[in-house]
Amino acid sequence: MNGTVVKNKEICAGHFLLSVRLPESFQTPMPGQFVMAREKGRIDPLLGRPFGVYHFERSKNEATVEILYKVVGKGTLVLSRLREGDFVEVLGPYGRAFDVYPEAAMVVFICGGIGVAPITYLASHYRMQTSRRNVKLVCYYGASKAENLVGIEKIKDIMSEVLISTDDGSAGYQGLVTQKFAEDVSSYEPASSRVYACGPRPMFKQLSELLAGHPVPCQILMEERMACGVGACLGCTVLLNDAEGRVAHARACIDGPVFNIRDIHWG
Amino acid sequence: MKNVRPEMQVDIGGLIIKNPVMTASGTFGYGKEYAPYVDIRRLGAIITKGISLEPRAGNKPPRIMETPCGMLNAIGLENPGAHAFIKEKLPFLREFDVPVIANIFGETIEEFKRVTELLSETKDVEALEINISCPNVKKGGIIFGSNPEMAHAVTKEIKRLTDLPVIIKLTPNVTDICLIAESVEEGGADAISLINTLTGMSVDIERRIPHLANITGGLSGPAIKPIALRMVWQVVKRVKIPVIGIGGIANARDALEFLIVGARAVQVGTANFVDPCATLDIIDGIEEYLKRHDIADVNDLIGTFDEEGRAC
Repeated sequence: MNGTVVKNKEICAGHFLLSVRLPESFQTPMPGQFVMAREKGRIDPLLGRPFGVYHFERSKNEATVEILYKVVGKGTLVLSRLREGDFVEVLGPYGRAFDVYPEAAMVVFICGGIGVAPITYLASHYRMQTSRRNVKLVCYYGASKAENLVGIEKIKDIMSEVLISTDDGSAGYQGLVTQKFAEDVSSYEPASSRVYACGPRPMFKQLSELLAGHPVPCQILMEERMACGVGACLGCTVLLNDAEGRVAHARACIDGPVFNIRDIHWG
Repeated sequence: MKNVRPEMQVDIGGLIIKNPVMTASGTFGYGKEYAPYVDIRRLGAIITKGISLEPRAGNKPPRIMETPCGMLNAIGLENPGAHAFIKEKLPFLREFDVPVIANIFGETIEEFKRVTELLSETKDVEALEINISCPNVKKGGIIFGSNPEMAHAVTKEIKRLTDLPVIIKLTPNVTDICLIAESVEEGGADAISLINTLTGMSVDIERRIPHLANITGGLSGPAIKPIALRMVWQVVKRVKIPVIGIGGIANARDALEFLIVGARAVQVGTANFVDPCATLDIIDGIEEYLKRHDIADVNDLIGTFDEEGRAC
């Protein structure tokens, strides 16, 4: 679907907030779903890039999607150069959403770096769904350094509590976000708590090891290279452990990007 | 004249399709994946993801990597196998009034034959496209596709077993694609489609490792279009059977180039990933072109390339 750039602003070094105006017919994304975005008419880079939705809203006759992204390669570099009024093609929303449990008493969010983007959208959804009840939303947010804690203000607005960790100790706890979470993991009651995470693969792997001895349900949003986004190209394979203990192939785009952490085969 | 809708129907070796635009194998799944986004009924034909006799898990990830104006893939022919295809995938495809061309693959002539029999028995596919050209499987495909005698033999064996039109899909990863084209024509092929992907690779220089787990992969997308067009032009001159052009076709202008040099139809592949409606825009664009040039029938455009023509 054709969209128009409303703004595309560098909010901290190498991190941009892109806001795109879309037709009214664009479906409202569920938390965890993603969109494929690309500059219209370009053949280099050729493919759209998948982004978890950061924010979405509707107003009269139109919709606006916000994408919070980090420049990591040619695709995101080209997007970062877009200016107000430029055209962007936005496909989606695609993929399987997070399961949301409005009855949970404690919801824990773990984000590493730019993984904060889809977690923010999910947490806003939880906040809206549970506004009348006393649900605690706790966020563990890790980044390399204080300046890279992108979108921290919004996270603080939504969450009941935010626990920061940085690799260099420039803000919060010095160390990995998973180390900070490890200190508290046993306090989260499996029956009434839910854990959601988005971040780099090593973070997921550590989290998976941490949760091996603690049966709290945990869903993660995986990031993979994608071409089609709809399950046709079979390019975004994620390895899972199936019920018989064999390794099975899943497509991050359509079977995911949200998976139960215990289903992933870490290899 | 200009307001009359041009005739778009073409004949691919006995398979009549309502327009010359199809989806290339491996880029449109089994139709279902794209059904929510594309009006499938408008397509000339759907070519399925490659089907082998037994299920195949495919290669390890990472399987794709974008490269300038294109992408590398090494999926490794992941598919549920012929039986599951017939039971689980084909019924959905039959819901649309669009010819289904099953793309099939085997590691041995016996496997090619068995899949041909199974699919011919269903009466639910209109034609077979034989993949003798996938570059990702170490044994099988590449051997048939790069050796004229093997290509001839597999074509002949398949033709003996089926009444369906048989399209042989050729690999560009050979010294002389025309030799292979001639040998499959002699073997009885009803049509030829080309090109499959070009074998390539890409290296992560920071970690000094391949970007694909399979190391090499097939290059597709606009990057390969000039090569594909050149090969189609060469093959068209050497065989009498219809040729289907494939390779980097992303818009109507690309498709028209292939038709003008003599392709009877085209397949659209990687462009589906970029824009799910690429095929429909191409159909509309070809129609518009025909109207603008006062050509009543697309067949009157095919092969009208003026080699001696000079811009002045």
